[in-house]
Amino acid sequence: MNGPRLAAETLIWRNRGARIRLSRTAIACLSLITLAAILFIERRSFTVLQWLQPQAPWCAVLAAFFTAVGVAQRRAVKRTQFLRSWLAAVPVAAARARWEAFLIETLPAGVAAVALCVLAGLAALTPASDSSAKFSTIFIVWAYLALGVLSGVALSFLIPVPKPVDLPPGSRYVPKLKVVRAVPVQPSLLSLGGWPVRQMFAWAQPKVVARAVIPVLVMMPMGTKADDAMIAIALFGVLFAMVLLSSAVISVSRAARRWLAPAPIRTSTLTRAFLLPACGLIAAGSAMEGLLLMVFNVSFRVSAAVGTISALVGCTALAVALLWSMRPRRVP
Amino acid sequence: MSDAVLQILGLRAGYGARTVIENISIDLHPGEWFVLLGPNGCGKSTLLDCVVNRLTPAAGEVIIAGHSLRRNSYEAKLQLGYGCAPDVLPPLLTARQCLEVHAGAKGVAALGADLLAVADELQFTPYLESFVDTLSLGTRQKLAVLLALVGDPLLIVLDEAFNGLDPKSALILKRHLRARIERRGGALLLATHSLDIVEHYADRAAVLMDGTLKHVWPQQELQRLRATNADFEAALASAIGE
Repeated sequence: MNGPRLAAETLIWRNRGARIRLSRTAIACLSLITLAAILFIERRSFTVLQWLQPQAPWCAVLAAFFTAVGVAQRRAVKRTQFLRSWLAAVPVAAARARWEAFLIETLPAGVAAVALCVLAGLAALTPASDSSAKFSTIFIVWAYLALGVLSGVALSFLIPVPKPVDLPPGSRYVPKLKVVRAVPVQPSLLSLGGWPVRQMFAWAQPKVVARAVIPVLVMMPMGTKADDAMIAIALFGVLFAMVLLSSAVISVSRAARRWLAPAPIRTSTLTRAFLLPACGLIAAGSAMEGLLLMVFNVSFRVSAAVGTISALVGCTALAVALLWSMRPRRVP
Repeated sequence: MSDAVLQILGLRAGYGARTVIENISIDLHPGEWFVLLGPNGCGKSTLLDCVVNRLTPAAGEVIIAGHSLRRNSYEAKLQLGYGCAPDVLPPLLTARQCLEVHAGAKGVAALGADLLAVADELQFTPYLESFVDTLSLGTRQKLAVLLALVGDPLLIVLDEAFNGLDPKSALILKRHLRARIERRGGALLLATHSLDIVEHYADRAAVLMDGTLKHVWPQQELQRLRATNADFEAALASAIGE
Protein backbone atom coordinates (compact mmCIF):
# COMPACT_ATOMS: atom_id res chain seq x y z
CA MET A 1 0.00 0.00 0.00
CA ASN A 2 3.04 2.25 0.30
CA GLY A 3 2.75 4.51 -2.75
CA PRO A 4 5.33 7.05 -3.95
CA ARG A 5 3.70 10.05 -2.23
CA LEU A 6 3.54 8.30 1.10
CA ALA A 7 7.09 7.00 0.71
CA ALA A 8 8.35 10.49 -0.15
CA GLU A 9 6.53 12.08 2.81
CA THR A 10 7.95 9.41 5.15
CA LEU A 11 11.48 9.95 3.83
CA ILE A 12 11.17 13.73 4.18
CA TRP A 13 9.98 13.26 7.76
CA ARG A 14 12.89 10.92 8.46
CA ASN A 15 15.41 13.31 6.90
CA ARG A 16 14.07 16.16 9.00
CA GLY A 17 14.43 13.95 12.06
CA ALA A 18 18.04 13.17 11.13
CA ARG A 19 18.87 16.86 11.51
CA ILE A 20 17.58 16.90 15.08
CA ARG A 21 20.21 15.66 17.51
CA LEU A 22 17.76 14.02 19.95
CA SER A 23 15.86 11.06 18.60
CA ARG A 24 12.13 11.53 18.22
CA THR A 25 11.46 8.26 20.07
CA ALA A 26 13.44 9.55 23.04
CA ILE A 27 11.46 12.80 23.02
CA ALA A 28 8.14 10.91 22.80
CA CYS A 29 9.13 8.53 25.64
CA LEU A 30 10.27 11.45 27.80
CA SER A 31 7.01 13.30 27.18
CA LEU A 32 4.97 10.21 28.07
CA ILE A 33 6.89 9.64 31.29
CA THR A 34 6.51 13.33 32.23
CA LEU A 35 2.79 13.21 31.50
CA ALA A 36 2.35 10.03 33.55
CA ALA A 37 4.31 11.61 36.41
CA ILE A 38 2.12 14.73 36.30
CA LEU A 39 -1.03 12.61 36.30
CA PHE A 40 0.33 10.57 39.20
CA ILE A 41 1.37 13.59 41.29
CA GLU A 42 -1.61 15.76 40.40
CA ARG A 43 -4.34 13.19 40.95
CA ARG A 44 -6.83 15.98 41.29
CA SER A 45 -6.63 16.35 37.51
CA PHE A 46 -9.15 13.51 37.39
CA THR A 47 -11.76 15.99 38.57
CA VAL A 48 -11.35 17.67 35.18
CA LEU A 49 -12.44 14.43 33.56
CA GLN A 50 -15.44 14.26 35.85
CA TRP A 51 -16.35 17.81 34.88
CA LEU A 52 -15.77 16.98 31.23
CA GLN A 53 -18.06 13.93 31.20
CA PRO A 54 -21.39 15.80 30.93
CA GLN A 55 -19.86 18.23 28.43
CA ALA A 56 -18.45 15.41 26.29
CA PRO A 57 -21.11 15.61 23.53
CA TRP A 58 -20.38 19.32 23.03
CA CYS A 59 -16.67 18.62 23.00
CA ALA A 60 -17.31 15.97 20.37
CA VAL A 61 -19.20 18.49 18.23
CA LEU A 62 -16.31 20.99 18.57
CA ALA A 63 -13.75 18.28 17.77
CA ALA A 64 -15.78 17.26 14.71
CA PHE A 65 -16.05 20.86 13.51
CA PHE A 66 -12.35 21.68 13.86
CA THR A 67 -11.26 18.34 12.41
CA ALA A 68 -13.57 18.76 9.42
CA VAL A 69 -12.31 22.28 8.68
CA GLY A 70 -8.65 21.37 9.31
CA VAL A 71 -8.74 18.22 7.17
CA ALA A 72 -10.59 19.99 4.35
CA GLN A 73 -8.02 22.78 4.32
CA ARG A 74 -5.16 20.32 4.39
CA ARG A 75 -6.77 18.36 1.57
CA ALA A 76 -6.99 21.51 -0.57
CA VAL A 77 -3.35 22.41 0.12
CA LYS A 78 -2.02 18.89 -0.43
CA ARG A 79 -3.96 18.45 -3.68
CA THR A 80 -2.66 21.77 -5.02
CA GLN A 81 0.89 20.84 -4.00
CA PHE A 82 0.55 17.41 -5.59
CA LEU A 83 -0.50 18.88 -8.94
CA ARG A 84 2.88 20.67 -9.08
CA SER A 85 4.93 18.02 -7.34
CA TRP A 86 7.72 15.96 -8.89
CA LEU A 87 5.58 12.88 -8.30
CA ALA A 88 2.57 14.15 -10.24
CA ALA A 89 3.45 12.12 -13.34
CA VAL A 90 4.41 8.89 -11.55
CA PRO A 91 1.97 6.11 -12.50
CA VAL A 92 0.13 4.76 -9.44
CA ALA A 93 -2.86 2.43 -9.34
CA ALA A 94 -6.05 4.41 -8.64
CA ALA A 95 -6.91 2.54 -5.44
CA ARG A 96 -3.40 2.97 -4.05
CA ALA A 97 -3.37 6.67 -5.00
CA ARG A 98 -6.70 7.17 -3.19
CA TRP A 99 -5.44 5.44 -0.07
CA GLU A 100 -2.20 7.32 0.16
CA ALA A 101 -3.96 10.63 -0.52
CA PHE A 102 -6.42 9.79 2.27
CA LEU A 103 -3.61 8.95 4.71
CA ILE A 104 -1.63 12.10 3.89
CA GLU A 105 -4.66 14.37 4.05
CA THR A 106 -5.99 12.98 7.32
CA LEU A 107 -2.63 12.59 9.03
CA PRO A 108 -3.18 15.26 11.74
CA ALA A 109 -6.56 13.75 12.58
CA GLY A 110 -4.89 10.34 12.83
CA VAL A 111 -2.22 11.76 15.12
CA ALA A 112 -4.93 13.38 17.26
CA ALA A 113 -6.80 10.06 17.53
CA VAL A 114 -3.61 8.23 18.56
CA ALA A 115 -2.79 10.97 21.08
CA LEU A 116 -6.30 10.64 22.55
CA CYS A 117 -5.83 6.88 22.89
CA VAL A 118 -2.44 7.33 24.58
CA LEU A 119 -3.82 9.95 26.97
CA ALA A 120 -6.81 7.79 27.82
CA GLY A 121 -4.55 4.79 28.35
CA LEU A 122 -2.25 6.78 30.65
CA ALA A 123 -5.21 8.13 32.60
CA ALA A 124 -6.67 4.64 32.94
CA LEU A 125 -3.36 3.22 34.19
CA THR A 126 -2.82 5.93 36.78
CA PRO A 127 -4.64 5.15 40.05
CA ALA A 128 -6.93 8.00 40.96
CA SER A 129 -7.10 9.37 44.49
CA ASP A 130 -10.76 10.02 44.05
CA SER A 131 -12.58 6.72 43.79
CA SER A 132 -15.43 8.37 41.90
CA ALA A 133 -13.12 8.90 38.88
CA LYS A 134 -13.86 5.56 37.38
CA PHE A 135 -12.68 3.89 34.24
CA SER A 136 -16.07 4.53 32.68
CA THR A 137 -15.54 8.32 32.98
CA ILE A 138 -12.29 8.10 31.05
CA PHE A 139 -13.85 5.80 28.49
CA ILE A 140 -16.88 8.05 27.88
CA VAL A 141 -14.78 11.20 27.43
CA TRP A 142 -12.34 9.38 25.18
CA ALA A 143 -15.12 7.77 23.12
CA TYR A 144 -16.91 11.08 22.53
CA LEU A 145 -13.72 12.91 21.53
CA ALA A 146 -12.53 10.08 19.29
CA LEU A 147 -15.97 9.91 17.70
CA GLY A 148 -15.82 13.67 17.16
CA VAL A 149 -12.46 13.41 15.39
CA LEU A 150 -13.61 10.50 13.23
CA SER A 151 -16.87 12.18 12.25
CA GLY A 152 -14.86 15.33 11.50
CA VAL A 153 -12.79 13.34 9.02
CA ALA A 154 -15.98 12.02 7.41
CA LEU A 155 -17.59 15.48 7.37
CA SER A 156 -14.51 17.00 5.76
CA PHE A 157 -15.46 15.22 2.53
CA LEU A 158 -18.67 17.25 2.42
CA ILE A 159 -16.68 20.52 2.34
CA PRO A 160 -15.94 21.32 -1.31
CA VAL A 161 -12.27 21.56 -2.25
CA PRO A 162 -11.48 25.07 -3.56
CA LYS A 163 -9.95 25.42 -7.01
CA PRO A 164 -6.14 25.51 -6.97
CA VAL A 165 -4.95 29.09 -7.11
CA ASP A 166 -1.49 30.19 -8.23
CA LEU A 167 0.03 32.35 -5.54
CA PRO A 168 0.75 35.78 -7.01
CA PRO A 169 4.24 37.24 -6.66
CA GLY A 170 4.80 39.22 -3.46
CA SER A 171 5.19 42.46 -5.41
CA ARG A 172 1.47 42.34 -6.29
CA TYR A 173 0.68 43.76 -2.85
CA VAL A 174 3.37 46.43 -2.97
CA PRO A 175 2.21 49.98 -3.71
CA LYS A 176 4.01 51.23 -6.78
CA LEU A 177 4.44 54.75 -8.08
CA LYS A 178 3.47 55.21 -11.69
CA VAL A 179 6.44 56.24 -13.80
CA VAL A 180 5.45 59.25 -15.86
CA ARG A 181 8.72 59.66 -17.75
CA ALA A 182 11.90 57.65 -17.85
CA VAL A 183 14.67 59.05 -15.67
CA PRO A 184 18.32 58.03 -15.84
CA VAL A 185 19.51 55.34 -13.42
CA GLN A 186 20.84 57.19 -10.36
CA PRO A 187 23.47 55.28 -8.37
CA SER A 188 22.17 55.12 -4.81
CA LEU A 189 21.62 52.76 -1.90
CA LEU A 190 18.32 54.41 -0.95
CA SER A 191 16.26 51.61 -2.51
CA LEU A 192 17.62 49.22 0.10
CA GLY A 193 15.79 51.19 2.80
CA GLY A 194 12.48 50.74 1.00
CA TRP A 195 12.92 47.01 0.48
CA PRO A 196 11.77 45.98 4.04
CA VAL A 197 8.66 48.15 3.67
CA ARG A 198 7.81 46.36 0.44
CA GLN A 199 8.47 43.02 2.12
CA MET A 200 6.08 44.09 4.86
CA PHE A 201 3.34 44.82 2.31
CA ALA A 202 4.06 41.54 0.52
CA TRP A 203 3.59 39.62 3.80
CA ALA A 204 0.58 41.62 4.98
CA GLN A 205 -1.73 40.52 2.20
CA PRO A 206 -5.37 41.68 2.46
CA LYS A 207 -6.51 38.21 3.53
CA VAL A 208 -3.91 38.07 6.33
CA VAL A 209 -4.89 41.54 7.57
CA ALA A 210 -8.59 40.64 7.51
CA ARG A 211 -7.92 37.49 9.51
CA ALA A 212 -5.75 39.40 12.00
CA VAL A 213 -8.54 41.93 12.61
CA ILE A 214 -11.12 39.26 13.55
CA PRO A 215 -9.57 38.35 16.96
CA VAL A 216 -9.22 42.07 17.77
CA LEU A 217 -12.93 42.57 17.07
CA VAL A 218 -13.84 39.45 19.06
CA MET A 219 -11.84 40.72 22.06
CA MET A 220 -13.90 43.94 22.24
CA PRO A 221 -16.33 43.89 25.17
CA MET A 222 -20.03 44.08 24.37
CA GLY A 223 -21.30 47.65 24.08
CA THR A 224 -18.04 49.06 22.75
CA LYS A 225 -18.59 52.17 20.62
CA ALA A 226 -17.65 52.05 16.96
CA ASP A 227 -15.18 54.95 17.47
CA ASP A 228 -13.37 53.09 20.24
CA ALA A 229 -13.29 49.92 18.17
CA MET A 230 -11.75 51.83 15.26
CA ILE A 231 -9.07 53.30 17.51
CA ALA A 232 -8.32 49.89 19.03
CA ILE A 233 -7.99 48.37 15.55
CA ALA A 234 -5.73 51.25 14.49
CA LEU A 235 -3.55 50.70 17.57
CA PHE A 236 -3.23 46.99 16.84
CA GLY A 237 -2.57 47.84 13.20
CA VAL A 238 0.32 50.14 14.09
CA LEU A 239 1.80 47.56 16.48
CA PHE A 240 1.36 44.77 13.93
CA ALA A 241 3.03 46.89 11.23
CA MET A 242 6.01 47.68 13.48
CA VAL A 243 6.54 44.01 14.35
CA LEU A 244 6.17 43.02 10.69
CA LEU A 245 8.60 45.74 9.61
CA SER A 246 11.21 44.59 12.12
CA SER A 247 10.94 40.98 10.88
CA ALA A 248 11.11 42.21 7.30
CA VAL A 249 14.28 44.19 8.00
CA ILE A 250 16.03 41.09 9.37
CA SER A 251 14.81 38.81 6.60
CA VAL A 252 15.63 41.27 3.82
CA SER A 253 19.04 42.21 5.24
CA ARG A 254 20.07 38.54 5.06
CA ALA A 255 18.95 38.33 1.45
CA ALA A 256 20.75 41.60 0.64
CA ARG A 257 23.92 40.37 2.25
CA ARG A 258 23.83 37.25 0.10
CA TRP A 259 23.10 39.27 -3.02
CA LEU A 260 25.68 41.98 -2.37
CA ALA A 261 28.47 39.76 -1.00
CA PRO A 262 30.59 40.27 -4.15
CA ALA A 263 29.93 44.04 -4.22
CA PRO A 264 32.31 46.51 -2.57
CA ILE A 265 29.93 47.51 0.19
CA ARG A 266 30.92 47.53 3.83
CA THR A 267 28.74 45.74 6.37
CA SER A 268 28.38 48.99 8.33
CA THR A 269 27.05 50.78 5.22
CA LEU A 270 24.61 47.98 4.52
CA THR A 271 23.44 47.94 8.15
CA ARG A 272 22.95 51.71 8.08
CA ALA A 273 21.03 51.53 4.79
CA PHE A 274 18.47 49.23 6.43
CA LEU A 275 18.49 50.50 9.99
CA LEU A 276 18.01 54.26 9.56
CA PRO A 277 14.83 54.19 7.44
CA ALA A 278 13.37 51.39 9.57
CA CYS A 279 14.10 53.31 12.79
CA GLY A 280 12.49 56.39 11.25
CA LEU A 281 9.36 54.38 10.48
CA ILE A 282 9.31 52.82 13.96
CA ALA A 283 9.60 56.29 15.50
CA ALA A 284 6.74 57.51 13.29
CA GLY A 285 4.68 54.45 14.24
CA SER A 286 5.34 55.08 17.93
CA ALA A 287 4.28 58.70 17.56
CA MET A 288 1.09 57.51 15.89
CA GLU A 289 0.59 55.07 18.77
CA GLY A 290 0.90 57.94 21.27
CA LEU A 291 -1.60 60.04 19.31
CA LEU A 292 -4.10 57.18 19.15
CA LEU A 293 -3.78 56.68 22.91
CA MET A 294 -4.52 60.38 23.41
CA VAL A 295 -7.62 60.05 21.24
CA PHE A 296 -8.50 57.10 23.48
CA ASN A 297 -8.66 59.57 26.41
CA VAL A 298 -5.29 58.55 27.87
CA SER A 299 -3.41 61.48 29.42
CA PHE A 300 -0.78 63.28 27.36
CA ARG A 301 2.00 62.28 29.76
CA VAL A 302 1.20 58.56 29.62
CA SER A 303 0.67 58.63 25.83
CA ALA A 304 4.00 60.39 25.31
CA ALA A 305 5.75 57.95 27.65
CA VAL A 306 4.27 54.94 25.85
CA GLY A 307 5.23 56.37 22.44
CA THR A 308 8.79 57.16 23.56
CA ILE A 309 9.32 53.79 25.21
CA SER A 310 7.86 52.01 22.20
CA ALA A 311 10.22 53.90 19.85
CA LEU A 312 13.27 53.27 22.04
CA VAL A 313 12.54 49.59 22.59
CA GLY A 314 11.61 49.03 18.94
CA CYS A 315 14.72 50.74 17.54
CA THR A 316 17.09 49.16 20.07
CA ALA A 317 15.69 45.66 19.54
CA LEU A 318 15.89 46.10 15.77
CA ALA A 319 19.46 47.42 15.92
CA VAL A 320 20.60 44.52 18.11
CA ALA A 321 18.85 41.94 15.91
CA LEU A 322 20.26 43.51 12.73
CA LEU A 323 23.82 43.63 14.10
CA TRP A 324 23.52 40.00 15.15
CA SER A 325 22.20 39.04 11.74
CA MET A 326 25.02 40.93 10.00
CA ARG A 327 27.82 39.39 12.07
CA PRO A 328 30.71 37.99 10.01
CA ARG A 329 30.18 34.44 8.84
CA ARG A 330 32.19 32.08 6.67
CA VAL A 331 29.37 31.57 4.19
CA PRO A 332 27.31 34.79 3.90
CA MET B 1 54.17 42.89 -9.27
CA SER B 2 52.21 40.62 -11.62
CA ASP B 3 49.99 42.21 -14.28
CA ALA B 4 47.42 39.45 -13.78
CA VAL B 5 43.81 40.55 -13.39
CA LEU B 6 43.11 37.50 -11.25
CA GLN B 7 45.49 35.25 -9.38
CA ILE B 8 44.20 32.18 -7.61
CA LEU B 9 46.95 30.65 -5.52
CA GLY B 10 46.69 27.16 -4.00
CA LEU B 11 43.01 27.49 -3.18
CA ARG B 12 41.30 24.93 -0.96
CA ALA B 13 37.65 25.29 0.04
CA GLY B 14 34.63 23.30 1.06
CA TYR B 15 31.61 23.17 3.30
CA GLY B 16 32.13 22.01 6.88
CA ALA B 17 34.43 18.99 6.93
CA ARG B 18 33.92 18.31 3.21
CA THR B 19 36.64 19.67 0.94
CA VAL B 20 35.24 20.49 -2.51
CA ILE B 21 38.22 22.07 -4.29
CA GLU B 22 41.87 21.50 -3.57
CA ASN B 23 45.09 23.17 -4.67
CA ILE B 24 43.63 25.31 -7.45
CA SER B 25 45.94 27.88 -9.03
CA ILE B 26 44.89 30.00 -12.01
CA ASP B 27 46.17 33.29 -13.45
CA LEU B 28 44.00 35.45 -15.71
CA HIS B 29 45.72 38.12 -17.79
CA PRO B 30 44.32 41.28 -19.41
CA GLY B 31 42.02 40.59 -22.34
CA GLU B 32 41.63 36.94 -21.44
CA TRP B 33 38.40 34.90 -21.48
CA PHE B 34 38.84 31.83 -19.30
CA VAL B 35 36.27 29.05 -19.37
CA LEU B 36 35.87 26.59 -16.55
CA LEU B 37 34.32 23.28 -17.60
CA GLY B 38 33.49 20.21 -15.59
CA PRO B 39 30.74 17.79 -14.63
CA ASN B 40 27.97 18.73 -12.20
CA GLY B 41 29.16 18.93 -8.62
CA CYS B 42 32.86 19.11 -9.50
CA GLY B 43 33.35 22.41 -7.64
CA LYS B 44 33.02 25.07 -10.36
CA SER B 45 30.53 27.18 -8.42
CA THR B 46 32.49 26.69 -5.19
CA LEU B 47 35.59 28.03 -6.92
CA LEU B 48 33.65 31.03 -8.23
CA ASP B 49 32.14 31.61 -4.78
CA CYS B 50 35.68 31.84 -3.37
CA VAL B 51 36.71 34.27 -6.12
CA VAL B 52 33.76 36.57 -5.43
CA ASN B 53 34.04 36.37 -1.63
CA ARG B 54 30.82 34.47 -1.09
CA LEU B 55 32.80 31.66 0.53
CA THR B 56 35.94 31.99 2.62
CA PRO B 57 38.56 29.51 1.44
CA ALA B 58 40.23 27.20 3.96
CA ALA B 59 43.62 27.83 2.35
CA GLY B 60 45.12 29.79 -0.50
CA GLU B 61 44.71 33.29 -1.78
CA VAL B 62 42.63 35.18 -4.33
CA ILE B 63 44.18 38.37 -5.73
CA ILE B 64 42.10 40.66 -7.95
CA ALA B 65 43.98 43.39 -9.83
CA GLY B 66 46.79 43.24 -7.26
CA HIS B 67 44.48 43.40 -4.22
CA SER B 68 44.15 40.41 -1.93
CA LEU B 69 40.50 39.49 -1.44
CA ARG B 70 41.25 38.47 2.14
CA ARG B 71 43.31 41.44 3.29
CA ASN B 72 42.02 44.18 1.03
CA SER B 73 38.57 42.99 0.10
CA TYR B 74 37.01 46.42 -0.57
CA GLU B 75 39.61 47.43 -3.20
CA ALA B 76 39.53 43.93 -4.71
CA LYS B 77 35.74 43.99 -5.02
CA LEU B 78 35.83 47.40 -6.70
CA GLN B 79 37.45 45.64 -9.65
CA LEU B 80 35.05 42.70 -9.59
CA GLY B 81 31.75 42.15 -11.36
CA TYR B 82 29.79 39.01 -10.56
CA GLY B 83 26.71 37.73 -12.33
CA CYS B 84 24.84 36.05 -9.52
CA ALA B 85 22.26 33.30 -9.93
CA PRO B 86 18.83 34.75 -10.85
CA ASP B 87 17.24 33.41 -7.64
CA VAL B 88 19.59 35.54 -5.52
CA LEU B 89 18.30 38.80 -7.03
CA PRO B 90 16.02 40.79 -4.68
CA PRO B 91 12.42 39.97 -5.65
CA LEU B 92 10.86 43.20 -4.37
CA LEU B 93 13.21 45.70 -5.99
CA THR B 94 12.71 46.84 -9.55
CA ALA B 95 15.39 46.13 -12.15
CA ARG B 96 16.28 49.85 -12.14
CA GLN B 97 16.72 49.81 -8.36
CA CYS B 98 18.99 46.75 -8.57
CA LEU B 99 21.20 48.66 -11.00
CA GLU B 100 21.10 51.75 -8.77
CA VAL B 101 22.12 49.78 -5.68
CA HIS B 102 25.01 48.09 -7.48
CA ALA B 103 26.15 51.41 -8.94
CA GLY B 104 25.82 53.02 -5.51
CA ALA B 105 27.85 50.23 -3.92
CA LYS B 106 30.60 50.68 -6.49
CA GLY B 107 30.55 54.43 -6.03
CA VAL B 108 30.16 55.21 -9.71
CA ALA B 109 28.74 58.61 -10.69
CA ALA B 110 26.52 57.25 -13.48
CA LEU B 111 25.96 54.07 -15.43
CA GLY B 112 28.18 53.71 -18.48
CA ALA B 113 26.64 54.47 -21.86
CA ASP B 114 27.84 51.09 -23.17
CA LEU B 115 26.01 49.29 -20.38
CA LEU B 116 22.77 51.09 -21.21
CA ALA B 117 23.37 50.36 -24.87
CA VAL B 118 23.78 46.64 -24.25
CA ALA B 119 20.66 46.68 -22.03
CA ASP B 120 18.83 48.22 -24.94
CA GLU B 121 20.27 45.72 -27.38
CA LEU B 122 19.17 42.88 -25.10
CA GLN B 123 15.67 44.44 -25.12
CA PHE B 124 15.91 44.81 -21.37
CA THR B 125 15.04 48.52 -21.08
CA PRO B 126 11.22 47.98 -21.01
CA TYR B 127 11.65 45.86 -17.88
CA LEU B 128 13.56 48.50 -15.90
CA GLU B 129 10.50 49.46 -13.83
CA SER B 130 9.33 45.86 -13.27
CA PHE B 131 9.75 44.08 -9.98
CA VAL B 132 12.31 41.28 -10.18
CA ASP B 133 9.78 38.66 -9.03
CA THR B 134 7.65 39.37 -12.10
CA LEU B 135 10.52 38.89 -14.58
CA SER B 136 11.03 35.67 -16.52
CA LEU B 137 14.12 33.54 -15.90
CA GLY B 138 15.85 34.81 -19.04
CA THR B 139 15.17 38.46 -18.17
CA ARG B 140 16.47 37.94 -14.64
CA GLN B 141 19.55 36.31 -16.13
CA LYS B 142 20.08 39.39 -18.31
CA LEU B 143 19.75 41.60 -15.23
CA ALA B 144 22.30 39.47 -13.34
CA VAL B 145 24.82 39.88 -16.16
CA LEU B 146 24.12 43.62 -16.47
CA LEU B 147 24.76 43.99 -12.74
CA ALA B 148 28.11 42.28 -13.23
CA LEU B 149 29.05 44.95 -15.77
CA VAL B 150 28.18 47.93 -13.54
CA GLY B 151 31.24 50.06 -12.80
CA ASP B 152 33.21 48.61 -15.73
CA PRO B 153 35.09 46.08 -13.58
CA LEU B 154 38.43 44.59 -14.59
CA LEU B 155 37.36 41.08 -13.66
CA ILE B 156 33.98 39.67 -14.67
CA VAL B 157 32.92 36.39 -13.10
CA LEU B 158 29.91 34.57 -14.51
CA ASP B 159 28.36 31.28 -13.47
CA GLU B 160 26.28 29.59 -16.19
CA ALA B 161 25.35 33.08 -17.37
CA PHE B 162 23.82 32.05 -20.68
CA ASN B 163 21.27 29.63 -19.21
CA GLY B 164 17.74 30.64 -20.06
CA LEU B 165 18.80 33.28 -22.59
CA ASP B 166 17.37 33.18 -26.08
CA PRO B 167 20.00 32.52 -28.80
CA LYS B 168 19.96 36.12 -30.06
CA SER B 169 20.49 37.61 -26.60
CA ALA B 170 23.17 35.03 -25.82
CA LEU B 171 25.03 35.98 -29.00
CA ILE B 172 24.76 39.72 -28.29
CA LEU B 173 26.06 39.17 -24.79
CA LYS B 174 28.98 36.96 -25.85
CA ARG B 175 30.09 39.50 -28.46
CA HIS B 176 29.72 42.35 -26.00
CA LEU B 177 31.72 40.54 -23.33
CA ARG B 178 34.47 39.74 -25.83
CA ALA B 179 34.68 43.36 -26.95
CA ARG B 180 34.48 44.69 -23.39
CA ILE B 181 37.37 42.67 -21.96
CA GLU B 182 39.55 43.58 -24.94
CA ARG B 183 38.73 47.28 -24.68
CA ARG B 184 39.04 47.40 -20.90
CA GLY B 185 42.05 45.10 -20.63
CA GLY B 186 40.04 43.04 -18.20
CA ALA B 187 39.40 39.34 -17.89
CA LEU B 188 36.40 37.05 -17.81
CA LEU B 189 36.05 33.89 -15.78
CA LEU B 190 33.07 31.83 -16.88
CA ALA B 191 31.84 28.50 -15.56
CA THR B 192 29.73 26.74 -18.15
CA HIS B 193 28.83 23.48 -19.84
CA SER B 194 28.59 25.07 -23.31
CA LEU B 195 31.42 23.92 -25.50
CA ASP B 196 30.50 26.44 -28.19
CA ILE B 197 31.91 29.20 -25.99
CA VAL B 198 35.22 27.34 -25.76
CA GLU B 199 35.09 26.82 -29.51
CA HIS B 200 34.41 30.43 -30.46
CA TYR B 201 35.26 32.82 -27.61
CA ALA B 202 37.59 31.39 -24.99
CA ASP B 203 41.29 32.19 -24.84
CA ARG B 204 41.94 29.42 -22.35
CA ALA B 205 39.82 26.69 -20.84
CA ALA B 206 40.19 24.22 -18.01
CA VAL B 207 38.40 21.12 -16.83
CA LEU B 208 37.72 20.83 -13.14
CA MET B 209 37.15 17.29 -11.89
CA ASP B 210 36.82 16.05 -8.34
CA GLY B 211 37.90 19.43 -7.06
CA THR B 212 41.18 19.69 -8.96
CA LEU B 213 42.17 21.07 -12.35
CA LYS B 214 42.36 18.03 -14.57
CA HIS B 215 43.44 19.74 -17.77
CA VAL B 216 44.13 23.27 -18.98
CA TRP B 217 44.01 24.15 -22.67
CA PRO B 218 46.45 26.98 -23.36
CA GLN B 219 45.60 29.59 -26.00
CA GLN B 220 47.80 27.95 -28.64
CA GLU B 221 46.10 24.59 -28.22
CA LEU B 222 42.62 26.14 -28.54
CA GLN B 223 43.76 28.02 -31.64
CA ARG B 224 45.15 24.81 -33.11
CA LEU B 225 41.87 22.98 -32.40
CA ARG B 226 39.93 25.80 -34.06
CA ALA B 227 42.25 25.87 -37.07
CA THR B 228 41.90 22.12 -37.62
CA ASN B 229 38.11 22.20 -37.10
CA ALA B 230 38.63 19.65 -34.37
CA ASP B 231 35.78 18.12 -32.44
CA PHE B 232 35.77 19.92 -29.07
CA GLU B 233 33.64 17.23 -27.47
CA ALA B 234 36.22 14.61 -28.41
CA ALA B 235 39.00 16.87 -27.14
CA LEU B 236 37.17 17.26 -23.83
CA ALA B 237 36.54 13.53 -23.57
CA SER B 238 40.20 12.74 -24.23
CA ALA B 239 41.28 15.40 -21.72
CA ILE B 240 39.27 13.80 -18.95
CA GLY B 241 40.39 10.34 -20.00
CA GLU B 242 37.16 8.90 -21.36
